Amino acid sequence: MKTAIGLQRGSRASKSIVGSEIWFREAFALPIETPNFTRRVMDQIDLQFDRPNPADLLTRLELTASSAGITGVSFRRGRGKTARTEAGPIGHILRQAREELAEYLAGDRTFFSVPVELSQVPEFERAALEIASQIPYGEVRSYKWIAERLGKPDAARAVGGAMAANPVPLIVPCHRVVKTNGGLGGYSFGLIQKEALLNLERSTTPYVGCASTRIVCRRGCLHERRIREGGRIHFATLADAKTGGYRPCQVCRPA
Amino acid sequence: MPDSNETIFKRVQAGNRAAFAILVERYQRRAFAVATRLMGNRTEAEDAVQQAFLRLYASRASYDPRWRLNTWFYRILTNACIDSLRRVRSTVPLDGREFPTADTPERAMLKREQEELLRAGLAAVPVEARIVLTLYYGEGRTYREIAALRGTAVNTVKTHLRRGRAALRKALRARGVDGP
Repeated sequence: MKTAIGLQRGSRASKSIVGSEIWFREAFALPIETPNFTRRVMDQIDLQFDRPNPADLLTRLELTASSAGITGVSFRRGRGKTARTEAGPIGHILRQAREELAEYLAGDRTFFSVPVELSQVPEFERAALEIASQIPYGEVRSYKWIAERLGKPDAARAVGGAMAANPVPLIVPCHRVVKTNGGLGGYSFGLIQKEALLNLERSTTPYVGCASTRIVCRRGCLHERRIREGGRIHFATLADAKTGGYRPCQVCRPA
Repeated sequence: MPDSNETIFKRVQAGNRAAFAILVERYQRRAFAVATRLMGNRTEAEDAVQQAFLRLYASRASYDPRWRLNTWFYRILTNACIDSLRRVRSTVPLDGREFPTADTPERAMLKREQEELLRAGLAAVPVEARIVLTLYYGEGRTYREIAALRGTAVNTVKTHLRRGRAALRKALRARGVDGP
């Protein structure tokens, strides 16, 4: 049966015959509304055109914590005061996180041991973030890869949403999640920052072995710090280290 | 009288980032209409439009104020769309995101139908012809303007327009719609 949209009355959108010149002009001219777009573009411009050096990121990070762990890592716009110091267990967690983030951004750390608290995050998002935090340093996985591990292979876009809503970027490495076609996808700190982080990770060897003890650590481990300069052996993978006769450290447990 | 786009962009060139927001405000509705026709999908269209604005900002130093900013921007926009069309392998169907509108429900429904028909029809039209159709019908650009911003001859534009129109009508007929 043929539809007769073109013959209905009462509206500008309906008077013209489908496929006619007038219909073309009307249909092509329909505006598309997208709320808050200007702000989003300007945010991206701020992020992308203000120095994308990972180490600079540190001065603009704002951290929040509960007594159970870090609850938020966010990007502070413009210049502001440094966060006031907090006492007690929360202060301890905040200090530890700031220290680990500083080391991470300087390429001296490949993992985080500070606890994170995601109890305020909805279940699906939390599950997606937990899978993302298993992606090894220096590697990337696709949104689809996470969706598959969640048992929802068609939910890649929803995984994208979960990554975008990650309350603790960097610590939960949502920057290691990219598009299946090789595109970078999105990033709350800006795509240039995402690329800079991935470059940093690609150019940092994640494992360091001690030539005298024959123990291999993750970069950033307390024991890794103690290895003398002359005895440091760098490994790209744990398998390489094991082949070389190194055993994993009991503290940082590289796996 | 409000400042011309060119005047505003000169301020951006001089380092006034906030002035750029005015241009984003002015261009976005048209840019979305163009990108949505070309991409056939709102999410992808949003990405492309955002890319286009970022490229426009990044290219501020190489812009010559003697050029019309419109032409410059539409060229960047269509190229951004083509780039992401190349990246997106499969076409994802139009997502059902709804935005608040001032229309009556009946009128909004008619518009949605028209929108959906156009989207389905355009999917059958080759990309270059899709660009020409969109700029000609949606943006009211002349053959000469389209030729300038796509970097082709005027006759090529006419050919794309003719073929595009025919392909679009054929696709609309295939969907069981009466037409000329």
